[in-house]
Amino acid sequence: MTSPVIISAKPPAGAAKFASRFDRFQVGLLVVAALLTCAALAYGGFLLTVMQLAMIYAIFCIGLNFFMGYTGQASFGQNAFACVGGYGSAILTVQYGWEPLPALLASMAVSGFFALIIGYPTLRLRGHYLAMATFSLGLITYDISIQWTSVTQGYMGYAGIPPMGIGNWTVESERWKLVTLAVLVAFGFWLSLRMRDSRFGRGLRAISGSENGAAALGVRVPRFKLIAFVIAALYASAAGSLFAYTIGFISPEVYGPAMSIMTFTMLFVGGVGTIVGPIIGAVVTSLLQEVVRGSGHYQDVAYAIVLLVTLIYAPKGISALGALFRRKKEEA
Amino acid sequence: MPSVAELSQSLVNGVGIGLIYGLIAIGFSVIYNASGIVNFAQGVFVMLGGMFAHTLLTSYGIPIWLSAIISTVLVAAVGVLVQIFVINPMWRRNAPLFAIILATLAVQLLIEQVIILTLGDRPRTYPEFTAGGPLKIGTVAIPYQFFWVLGVGALLVFALTQFFNRTRMGRALRACAQNREAAALLGIPVERMLIVAFALSAGLGAVAGILITPTQYTAYLIGTPFGINGFIAAIIGGFGSPVAGLVGGVLLGVIQSEAIVFFGAGFRNIISLTVLLVVLMYFPKGLFGGLEKKA
Repeated sequence: MTSPVIISAKPPAGAAKFASRFDRFQVGLLVVAALLTCAALAYGGFLLTVMQLAMIYAIFCIGLNFFMGYTGQASFGQNAFACVGGYGSAILTVQYGWEPLPALLASMAVSGFFALIIGYPTLRLRGHYLAMATFSLGLITYDISIQWTSVTQGYMGYAGIPPMGIGNWTVESERWKLVTLAVLVAFGFWLSLRMRDSRFGRGLRAISGSENGAAALGVRVPRFKLIAFVIAALYASAAGSLFAYTIGFISPEVYGPAMSIMTFTMLFVGGVGTIVGPIIGAVVTSLLQEVVRGSGHYQDVAYAIVLLVTLIYAPKGISALGALFRRKKEEA
Repeated sequence: MPSVAELSQSLVNGVGIGLIYGLIAIGFSVIYNASGIVNFAQGVFVMLGGMFAHTLLTSYGIPIWLSAIISTVLVAAVGVLVQIFVINPMWRRNAPLFAIILATLAVQLLIEQVIILTLGDRPRTYPEFTAGGPLKIGTVAIPYQFFWVLGVGALLVFALTQFFNRTRMGRALRACAQNREAAALLGIPVERMLIVAFALSAGLGAVAGILITPTQYTAYLIGTPFGINGFIAAIIGGFGSPVAGLVGGVLLGVIQSEAIVFFGAGFRNIISLTVLLVVLMYFPKGLFGGLEKKA
């Protein structure tokens, strides 16, 4: 089978390659995130849990960024795949005594398959219709996870999910859990970078620029969109499973529509379509939630206001702030 | 197999709730047509309508008809505030579509939390507008409130059709819907029209909320289900004329009620969301999208 050639300059190699991908501001943000992780490891306590969750959501957002950022589509329903991942892992490990890792991979396979058959018809939609169709996908999954009590145990949820591990080696301590998650985030991040700069990734970014333009250059738009959707679903499923292994308990609320809105917030706060955006957004938003939680009843009010202000005044998120400074410097 | 009486009773219930969905659907399409924005916080106006009316009725002792009017005006004002402080800044900056959707969801979260803080999270209800009832036809009971919903719904659709066809402002709104640049060139103040659209849409949502509260209840969290069902109704109707929105709502309401009879109440949302997906796949312009010219 001959595949059409996408005419595009290869990304430069070496140091120039590095500079073309990141600006100094983004690298700085990543370093801050890494330092925060180290701080959490050093001090332990509650910050440890916050950073664990941030890492899990970072994995989710890296996947979502593929579909939303690079491809320019919207899915408000990725929580559906996290739900499949989480419940798949929980059921396989608790009911059938599987090892955590095979359970995670099996759930990912199931999620990917679902994403394939759901995405094929759904991705023909655009704009608000796509947003609502995917949103309803998430809501249907949420309702099913409540109603199908024989499989999901409904509101009761699943408890006693074993922690991550291979064979006899299990990750029991909270600190090692965070280290494992951080390594997995780094792996997912590296994988996403490789895919972003591949022929496929460049095709995706062409789609976000102009679907017609991309099609004219020989990008198979529907197929590329579908693959991006499946990739996002795989990341979401892995994140869902990791949540189950890390916390040890899941319930429908974990994977409810609120998860969609929260991960969207993370992506927008971090910077949708940027490389480091998903990780930065996940860390910043998770920390923000904890900071605001201190102010009692007003936490959600403050959260919503921060989100609105970000959307209005910094629509490209934190990662793009560096470009803002640079432009000002050039103007001056 | 459910009996005929059960089916016809659920048909009545379905039409009643469907008319409410229809009103919300019209609210969606008014904003969508004027701005190209789908306001995902539409359901929150329904909730506010019921909450304000209840507060005015019980805390201030204002008669129901006056409470209803004041509540509608207040909610319309909230709609205007949302437009001015959230939508307009994003619209002027050419924010991406999905950012605006997320912003409307954030508005919903914000308003819900403010309501919990000020009015509490307790569900509340007030008596039907006309005491007595229900009207019995054979074994089928029709509450009097049903006739209020039917009457107000019909009246509003008639008034809206007249508004869009006869008045200068209504025509200006339709001009914005067809082509915003051209409308602006013709001297129509497009941003002011958007404010009108939000006020109108919020008011419609409030009326729906005020009408439904006696037969169900209102609480801070009813916004999402009503918003989603209203959106589904708008999609079935095809974002076109007020009549199409109302018919879409009634269709959805009836499908939902019958689904409850056949599958049980837990599957109500699953059924209506499945209807949404099917309509989106096969009738992306709505059931009436191909049939009628834009009103």
